[in-house]
Amino acid sequence: MTLLQRIKNMVRARSIHVAYVDVGSCNGCDIEVLACLAPRYDIEQYGIFVHNNPREADVLLVIGAYTPGWEEKLAMVWEKIPDPKAAVAIGNCPISGCLFNRRGSFVDPPVKKHIPIAAEVPGCPPRPTEILQAILSVRDSVFANWEESHP
Amino acid sequence: MGLSLIWYLKEFARTEWIKKFLFAKTAPLVTPSHFRGFPEPTGKTCQHALFCMMACPAPGAIEVVHAGDGWMPRIHKGHCIRCGLCVEACPNGVLKSGRILETMEREGTSLLFSFRIAIDLELCTGCGNCCTACPVNKGIDAQMGAGGHSSNDEVIMRVQEGDIVVIHEDKCTGCKTCEVSCPTGAIRIARILEGYQQPVQEGSQ
Repeated sequence: MTLLQRIKNMVRARSIHVAYVDVGSCNGCDIEVLACLAPRYDIEQYGIFVHNNPREADVLLVIGAYTPGWEEKLAMVWEKIPDPKAAVAIGNCPISGCLFNRRGSFVDPPVKKHIPIAAEVPGCPPRPTEILQAILSVRDSVFANWEESHP
Repeated sequence: MGLSLIWYLKEFARTEWIKKFLFAKTAPLVTPSHFRGFPEPTGKTCQHALFCMMACPAPGAIEVVHAGDGWMPRIHKGHCIRCGLCVEACPNGVLKSGRILETMEREGTSLLFSFRIAIDLELCTGCGNCCTACPVNKGIDAQMGAGGHSSNDEVIMRVQEGDIVVIHEDKCTGCKTCEVSCPTGAIRIARILEGYQQPVQEGSQ
């Protein structure tokens, strides 16, 4: 990796766009993601900009236990995100379905089955600090070797 | 054009600006110690009462597994919702999470488990499978045969004259082994979880 590429990667990793998609959650995790935007945690101080446009996003936050209404639609959202990209599962629901994954329920977790997940944040809901840490740990790997592997 | 370039250079050369740009301080991502995290072991010995598993509201979040010689609860992240009920329900204080244990001690609260045995005599055939399957019965009267007859008065239940008789309901540990072994589904164990607070002593407040 040349020095120029390294500098490019570093700068890109410090300016990432995040989109979030709720595939059937109880809104608890959405509120925690919202708390990340608020002044106490202030996600934008790390250069992370949240706006819900998959066409511009680098990181996709997936929240919820994957209800049948999201069949194919989640993959559609994932395909709209330009490479390089990563998805982060927020909360217990996308990991295991937790409380909603009971006999007779229609949810289809884990979300890992449907789109590739780079990081998982357990918790019901996870704390804003944990969500932030997950995004921060993912952002370096998103752009790592990107220039080399796609000349 | 030239003037504005100079103006920009002058602006960026200010020490205050350079300091702010290079040493901008961001709040550290720390979790206060009193926040409830995933339950952690305190180091006390697990007595295999399994109350943590019974109290847990999330499916598959906690299970008690073999650890060396004894038992140890294992928390599954991605299932655990950090409610802390396992910490409260444990009679031996094996787990800790945030300041739940301190609060319990200060306020004298505890979660008590009790078990009721309900037998539908219409369905019961008096086969004695439940009496022989019961691990507590086995510990008390190892000689109990296939019919569930026993001369020992200390057992939880036994078959007398073709009918099942519950003698010591209080010894039940709520494992529900009898429910599984019953061929007609006649026996049911109710697990009752109640919150308890010790009465405050007169004049202590």
